[in-house]
Amino acid sequence: MDPFFYSILLAGVIAGASCGLLGVYIVGLRLPFVGVFVSHTAMAGTVYSYLLGLDPTLCATSISALTAMSLAAIQPGKTRIDSNVALAILFSLMLGVTFLGIGLIQGSRTEILGLLWGSILFVRTENLVVITAAAGALAVFAILFNKELKALLFSRSIASATGVHETFVYSLFLALSGVILAVNLPLIGGLMIFSLISNPAAAAYQLCRGHRAIVAVSVAFGVLSTAGGFFLSYFLNLPTGACIVLVSTLLFALSAGYRALSGRSD
Amino acid sequence: MTGGALALQDIRVGGPSRTILQIDRLEIPAGDFVGIVGTNGAGKSTLLKVCAGLIRPASGSAKLDGNDLLRLSGWRRCSLRQRIGYIPQSAEYNADLPFTVREVVSMGRTSVRPLLARLNAEDHAVVCRWIEALGLSARRDQTFRSLSGGEQQKVLIARAMAQDPRVLMLDEPCASLDFHWRHQISEIVERLHRQTGVTVLLVSHDTSVLPPTCRRILLLADGRLLGDGGPEAILTPQMLARAYGGDLVASTIGGRRHVLGVRPDGGS
Repeated sequence: MDPFFYSILLAGVIAGASCGLLGVYIVGLRLPFVGVFVSHTAMAGTVYSYLLGLDPTLCATSISALTAMSLAAIQPGKTRIDSNVALAILFSLMLGVTFLGIGLIQGSRTEILGLLWGSILFVRTENLVVITAAAGALAVFAILFNKELKALLFSRSIASATGVHETFVYSLFLALSGVILAVNLPLIGGLMIFSLISNPAAAAYQLCRGHRAIVAVSVAFGVLSTAGGFFLSYFLNLPTGACIVLVSTLLFALSAGYRALSGRSD
Repeated sequence: MTGGALALQDIRVGGPSRTILQIDRLEIPAGDFVGIVGTNGAGKSTLLKVCAGLIRPASGSAKLDGNDLLRLSGWRRCSLRQRIGYIPQSAEYNADLPFTVREVVSMGRTSVRPLLARLNAEDHAVVCRWIEALGLSARRDQTFRSLSGGEQQKVLIARAMAQDPRVLMLDEPCASLDFHWRHQISEIVERLHRQTGVTVLLVSHDTSVLPPTCRRILLLADGRLLGDGGPEAILTPQMLARAYGGDLVASTIGGRRHVLGVRPDGGS
């Protein structure tokens, strides 16, 4: 097999693992639109860095991390607008800004449009290093702040009222979400990455009991989704992001079906 | 147990056109059991959230043991809030996640330990003690979401107590429970208050939830304090009628004040 395939597979495994881990918190915190919004911010960042001749990875990463961190200002019960409604509005704004940027690009738009769907052709050594570093940072964060993250997942209100460093940990988490989404964007695609965040975690929440099991299963499903998607993409010459979405959705459907059929009640 | 005294001064929550809560002065000494009653929308939960520092009022101060929760910086506020055990209404916690009972109770030790520190053997011993004290030993490895509403409240109380709080704040803990569970939860809170001396603030629209040892009641209506005193002075048909409207029929059964309903027109 082509050695290029192994680096693609490695990138996929790392991307799947980090998105699976991130999803545990995004899904658990009921923040589906954070993933959608931040991934589109990263996409806008990449498009405009391309337009302005800046480094796309650095630009997308810093813009999405900063934007994600600013979302910490949306506190439960403190704003008049529901946070998911606010994020849905911001997400559509970002989509508009992205397509405006794409429209302004002169000449071939093939590479930049690839960002929407994701492509294994984006896998280069420098991508692999960045993806691995970001995944490592998220894993270290999840280990160091494990007890605070669990408290936040259960209730941000209780965590805040009882002296957990809720704002600090939440802001840090959002910034890391921005980084993970931005660095994995070229591989998975801006329109598809959200399924890799939500599906493995949602499947794990169906099957597992206890936080540790949820994390392990979500990471494993993330890896299975990307590895399976990459195999399909490589051998059948299909868009990578679309294949990953299909595999991760299949895993979710199987998990939900198993839970329903087995009548499990925890 | 020391600490747990609350003092509110000139609190005003709301916008220019509408006042949600207005409290000129309210002092709750450490170790008091205070019931907060009133109609829906009277400002009960808002008052509790101000006391917990969750809502920043337009003006005023909310002090816990002499320190203003609203003025402290983030880290010092977190340190002060370690003294607060908080049990919100169900919409404010994620009951659908498959956390086990043990995990939820362990969350009570989160703020006791510094950032980055893991829970140690002492924390686990405290968690086990509270699981046992609340009669949850058989449920410890079950998920929180698989429990009944009453059992979930017991887990939340165990979680709050594992934190070794100075103030225990409960927002409608019996709102969706049947009379058996209402009584049981009320008894548990009363027992914890008696045994640990923790200050208790219990919000309830149902006055029968307040145990006989609750000797101070705050009656709220339209965001204002309508009455503050013992149950004999506050839970009178006249005071209740002012807060709830209508001619109410109330009766004391087993030391608890039950509002039985609205007297029909022309009734006696």
